[in-house]
Amino acid sequence: MKKIPILLLFIFSFSPYLYAQENEVNELKEEIKQLKSQFEGMKSSYENRIGQLEAKIGDLEQKSSAAEEKPSQVVQAGQAGSGRYFQSFNPDISVIGDFTFHGTDNKTDGQYNQFKMRQAELAFSAPVDPYSKADFFMHVEQEDGEWKIGLCEGYLTLLELPLDLQAKVGKFKANFGKVNRSHLHALPWVDYPNMLTNFLGEEGMSEPGVSLSSLIPNPWDQYIELTFEALNNHNAASFAGTEGRDMVYLTHLKNSLEISDESTLELGGSFATGPNDEGHGGKRTNLEGIDLTYKWRPLKEGLYKSLISRNETLFSQKDQDGGTGINSWGAYSSLEYQFAKRWSVFSRYDFSEFPDYSDRKDNAVSTGLTFSQSEYCFWRIQLKHTDKDYDKDVDEVWLQCNFGLGPHRAHEY
Amino acid sequence: MKKIIVLPIIFMLSFLVGSNAYAKDKINVLTTTPDLKSIAEFIGGDKVEVDSICKGYQDPHFVEAKPSFMIKAKKAGLFIRVGLELEIGYEDLIINGSRNPKIRIGQIGHLDASEGALLLEVPTTTKIDRSMGDVHPMGNPHYWLDPLNAKVMASNIAERLSKLRPEDEAYFKRNLSDFNHKIDEKLVEWKNKLAPFKGEKIAVYHRSWPYFVNRFGLDITCELEPKPGIPPSPEHLREVIEKIKEADVKIILMEVFYDEKPGRFVAQATGAKVVIVPNSVGGTKEAKDYFSLMDIIIDKLVQEFHS
Repeated sequence: MKKIPILLLFIFSFSPYLYAQENEVNELKEEIKQLKSQFEGMKSSYENRIGQLEAKIGDLEQKSSAAEEKPSQVVQAGQAGSGRYFQSFNPDISVIGDFTFHGTDNKTDGQYNQFKMRQAELAFSAPVDPYSKADFFMHVEQEDGEWKIGLCEGYLTLLELPLDLQAKVGKFKANFGKVNRSHLHALPWVDYPNMLTNFLGEEGMSEPGVSLSSLIPNPWDQYIELTFEALNNHNAASFAGTEGRDMVYLTHLKNSLEISDESTLELGGSFATGPNDEGHGGKRTNLEGIDLTYKWRPLKEGLYKSLISRNETLFSQKDQDGGTGINSWGAYSSLEYQFAKRWSVFSRYDFSEFPDYSDRKDNAVSTGLTFSQSEYCFWRIQLKHTDKDYDKDVDEVWLQCNFGLGPHRAHEY
Repeated sequence: MKKIIVLPIIFMLSFLVGSNAYAKDKINVLTTTPDLKSIAEFIGGDKVEVDSICKGYQDPHFVEAKPSFMIKAKKAGLFIRVGLELEIGYEDLIINGSRNPKIRIGQIGHLDASEGALLLEVPTTTKIDRSMGDVHPMGNPHYWLDPLNAKVMASNIAERLSKLRPEDEAYFKRNLSDFNHKIDEKLVEWKNKLAPFKGEKIAVYHRSWPYFVNRFGLDITCELEPKPGIPPSPEHLREVIEKIKEADVKIILMEVFYDEKPGRFVAQATGAKVVIVPNSVGGTKEAKDYFSLMDIIIDKLVQEFHS
């Protein structure tokens, strides 16, 4: 029994020694690991250099054998496109021209059977600093025989806010529905749907304001974006117009569901509210919108085939003088089918009432053909018949040529 | 009895929790093309989870910035692009839409794989414009079809992964070394296979192949597209037919996603053969990774040259 304490004493007397040995082994292991890492690093570095040298030798051989046939075009990436580096601090600049011939049997139309340079859009876009980017879109248009330039949009986007937030400040197209955000040149038709022009004005709602949006986390990993906007109340079609001193508050929920690699369904909901007089809320307009977009593009044949169905509905409740109110609504449904690399057909049905008239409505059917000469130029023909229950029906035809200069500008999906 | 039911459930749940923790431990990599994905998977091994925006049977010039890509980019710790403005139509929209500051240009989580690659067809004229078609001012972006450039891409990826995960540097470097060895071995094999056809003239649909022919000693006589990205016109095809007849071209090489009709038309008029091959990993089922992609292209060419 006495042997046990002696044995324990013996073990404990050796333990520092064992501990020291273990430390030494660990240090050696660490050293070997570091050496191994250094060795692997050196090895791959030399192999990579050898690879690059081999590539250079190969290319030199190639060049020498073909020197007389073709000039050298082999460069290192660092030298590539050096000319462009001088422009690196300039923004991307684009100019997009929109030219139309508009034929109509409505003799009161100011553009009755006329060629028209509808618009020249000047676009400037660049990062401002590591945290933000800015976009400007200027429209040059003819008004009463004179060419005028106006700011369609000019805003700063803050890209690095916490909690997945993104903010916009400046003048921008309100995030109401889908088509309101599209510029004239990006439309799949020649004209805006009647619903938009009747309820939000000729080119939609674009006002100075602030916008805050966030991606909503969800267990299905779907793209769900929620946007809040506060905008000046200058929209004349549904709100107070240029004299308005209050705000329009707007919210938009966008949900994009990827059905397959080839097709996507987007469902959006919008709500906007603001006074429609100078009465600080005495008379209000509420707008609700639903948009549904289906896109199909086969991946392999995607250059040659695609189909897009766009649908939007807008409801308006607008207070009128004398305590009355007008409830009205509008909608459009459009189908575009691309059947060849450069060709697509489209048709659109419009129904629209008016925010200020309870007894007026439009029904319109449009159809057309688009020929995309290249990514930067397209030609389009569109026929439209509008059935107005308050006026004479109108038949219209447009021939459109849209052409752009400048860097390729990516479009939203 | 309850224990019999509850215990396996707890076990399964613990496994799920464990596997999730393991998955989170990996670096999420999002590449623009499947070729980059293949190389990143080779280098990153089991330390990375890689996804690609573009499929191998899709034209990489025309990819739409779908919101689902923004969700993928949101989770990415590393975004790898081909560069040279191949992704100009969608990259900014995806990165800005993802709200992930880690992968913005200039950040450690954004890698341009073309850094250090040997580039061809960089315009040398003082001015370039759209009258030249879809020219890339920084050079032809199809550089991955040169296996030696694949080594440069792999090296860039290994270096960036090492910066993101310094403790696994040795692992990435070892994988890079293996990749380089495999490329060296295969390059000898590929060159030997195509050696009998050195100097052979081919026609192509799009200018995707200069790097490939440069490395393997073939020669491009003409393209079916009159200018990059511009569809073939009847007049241009007549010129192509003349050139093919004059140079005795045997093969018209095309990617899987282009319209075959112009190629078939020219083939019928000249007796040349249309050879359709993937130019990216996943372009066909057999092109499972970078090595099998090159195997398929080369074997198909050899087979057609022989027949």
